[in-house]
Amino acid sequence: MHRRTFLRFTALSAVSLLATACSTAGTAPTPTMDSSPTPTPTIPTPTPKVTPQTTELAQKPLDLSKWNPDYVREIAGSLPTFDTKAFVSNIVPLSTTGELYYWYIGPAEPDPQITKDLDKQFWEIWSSTYPNIRTEKQSLTYADMLDKIRTAATGRAAPMVATMPIMWGVEFAAKGHLAEIQLEEFGFSENDFWPGALKSCKWQGKLYGVPTNNECMALIYNKQLFRDAGLDPDQPPKTWEEVVTFSKQIKEATGKYGYGLVARLNHGNTPFRFMPVVWAYGSGAFDEAEDNPTYDQVLINNEGGLAALEVYYNMFVRDQSVPSAALTNTNAENTDLFFAGQLGMYIGHPSEYAAMVDRARKATGADRERAEQLLANIGYALLPEGPVRRAAVFGGSNIHIFADHVVRGGKVDRQAARAFIAFRCSPEWSIKAVWTASNPGNLQAFRTTWMKERLEQIKFLEVTTAMLKYGVPFPVVPESPQIMNIIVPEMIHNALTRKMTIKEAADDAAEKIRALMRQRVS
Amino acid sequence: MTASTPLTQRKAPSIPFLHRALQSHSFMAYLYILPSLVVLSFVVAYPIFYTILLGFYSTPAISPDRYWVGLSNYIDLLRSRTFWETTQNTLYWTIPSTIGAFLLGVPAALALNQPLLGRSLLRSIFLIPWVISTVAAAYVWRWLYHSDFGLLNGYLMAWGIIQRPLLFLDSTNLVIPSLVIVNVWKTFPFVMVMTLAGLQAVPSELLEAASIDGAGTVRRFFAITLPYLRNVFLITFLLLFISNLEHFTIPWLMTGGGPARASQIWAIDIYTTAFRGLEFGLASAYSTLVFAIVLLFATVYVRLLTRREGVEA
Repeated sequence: MHRRTFLRFTALSAVSLLATACSTAGTAPTPTMDSSPTPTPTIPTPTPKVTPQTTELAQKPLDLSKWNPDYVREIAGSLPTFDTKAFVSNIVPLSTTGELYYWYIGPAEPDPQITKDLDKQFWEIWSSTYPNIRTEKQSLTYADMLDKIRTAATGRAAPMVATMPIMWGVEFAAKGHLAEIQLEEFGFSENDFWPGALKSCKWQGKLYGVPTNNECMALIYNKQLFRDAGLDPDQPPKTWEEVVTFSKQIKEATGKYGYGLVARLNHGNTPFRFMPVVWAYGSGAFDEAEDNPTYDQVLINNEGGLAALEVYYNMFVRDQSVPSAALTNTNAENTDLFFAGQLGMYIGHPSEYAAMVDRARKATGADRERAEQLLANIGYALLPEGPVRRAAVFGGSNIHIFADHVVRGGKVDRQAARAFIAFRCSPEWSIKAVWTASNPGNLQAFRTTWMKERLEQIKFLEVTTAMLKYGVPFPVVPESPQIMNIIVPEMIHNALTRKMTIKEAADDAAEKIRALMRQRVS
Repeated sequence: MTASTPLTQRKAPSIPFLHRALQSHSFMAYLYILPSLVVLSFVVAYPIFYTILLGFYSTPAISPDRYWVGLSNYIDLLRSRTFWETTQNTLYWTIPSTIGAFLLGVPAALALNQPLLGRSLLRSIFLIPWVISTVAAAYVWRWLYHSDFGLLNGYLMAWGIIQRPLLFLDSTNLVIPSLVIVNVWKTFPFVMVMTLAGLQAVPSELLEAASIDGAGTVRRFFAITLPYLRNVFLITFLLLFISNLEHFTIPWLMTGGGPARASQIWAIDIYTTAFRGLEFGLASAYSTLVFAIVLLFATVYVRLLTRREGVEA
């Protein structure tokens, strides 16, 4: 019943979709955007509420095949409003009494003020929506959370509900620490989320989480350096081969680094930037880039894997067109180099432009002038494609309910958990909770006026949002952290330091992955 | 025993024991340290015991359970090429770091033991590397060394000493020596302070008498000062050596163990095995092995120290 109501309510978007369907002719994604000034992100504008009962049209799922920057702009605002309170009241009555222990990665000191304000607003509105659900929340940092949550689950002191980065859930699901869930119990359906996001919530065919937010990276480049190198500033590289060529040309013509290669050992930045190349060439740790991966076969040393490694090798060893410190750099160093005008291109997060605007504002004198010049010359483009596909790591977070036997007190208040997840993953909070940092996990949120506001406020958002279509989650196996954080970076290092040949490095990595999988207990 | 037996008679056998025990200094000493022992048994003894126990299990990431594998983790570890590479790196890091700190710390202490103008100020300045946070120091040195925009490369190139940046942290050959320099810089004040403390125990009369007898500075140092400092040196060397064997922060923050595992030392390897690789059983076996090695060094040095004290007594 509740689901039907929700579907009815969200169907208002169909009006706009019908209006825009004719003009949305499935045009190719526009890879670059202009560099006109963008306003600073502000608190979303309150909109008049419409209860689900007022809508009469049937819901039409988003057409993900049309997903590109133009489509993202077209659908934004097609769902004029959303009454979250009315929506969640259909899931769990507002008078429900209960308690909830919740862990999440909350706003940190360096985050923009808007993130902190919206977090505060979220908790205030949650409390007023369900005044009788006593909520104990714990905000953790990314660096702390995994170890704490592992310890807590092992010590039977896990929270009832937690929002965790996309790659973490499977470890807990495999260990039986998470409760199985159904999307329908929160008022959602599979159409409300990216298939890749749902894939990351599943273990052995069962669902253990709901996507809260998703993001993919994009290629950020300096148009001025392109001009200086004799490249067309409006034609960023379309393929990884072009990245190698452009990087060399920038280095030779300007003396500046062409591409911001990142390959630090034991660091998440490394696989997030290397795996898109691997997938583009038709490889992977396993077959995770396929629609229905089985994770049975190790592919890292196939021809595609070797070609991807060669892309890195050519830039670092042969052309020396990337930072010399690439093997110990994280992306933070690339951001600094780029901001200083010393780097042509790098793979960056959706929020990096906002961070650079912030830095430019704090600069003084000649630094400020240089920073503003750089901002005027920034270009965002889709990640390049390879011979097989265009790909980016599908990032983000999922929300999970822990199993009774690992939570504090030995019992999860399922009603409270359901109410909270429905509230947190509603179109409204799915978008507001990640205003500047990510994208809503709930696809319906892309239709809201809040998305329209974000597109006006956050420059290049449509490019990074468009990349979601090409998102590939890391292998959804519990061994993923070891493969991505240790084996893959070591493979890159072995090849780039010439400790091994490209083939030997890839074979070594493949053998390590196989050895790891053999350890599984049948 | 009947009901009419006097109370004093009934309890008589236990009183002398209690009395003796209460009078015993050792018993009272045990009583005083009992609270600490209880706390330590929870926060030290239990984790050590549990780590040793976990080393005999396999803990696959896929399962909530653990599986008894006996000595397999130890065998796998000792057979693995990477373990021996890491051991080599650890020794390459530990030995030069310890010796370097002595080579810098002892002369500094000898110099600062002289009646110099502004001696207290100099002592404070020399202590700065020791007192600042290791994390802050690691980040500052990382920037100094940085291959692309590091200060060191900047100056060396500006002075025309080098044409291309030196890859201090990005070359498999240079990475450990570069890290050792940071560690020596960070730890030499510790050697200096310990040596300075030891120098206060050298009787000035002896030095004066030797001077009157015509002994020069070098002779006085080797014949009088050095024997007095021997125990201080042994303790300092032991502490520093063990601390370097177990070190984590500087290499982790500056290189993350790279490039190509060239700066992967024991502590980093254990950490990544456990928390990046989720192989807690293997990491526990690794920890136990390192613990045993460190304990072996500690025992040897403590025995050496005790024996020398016995001889001197």
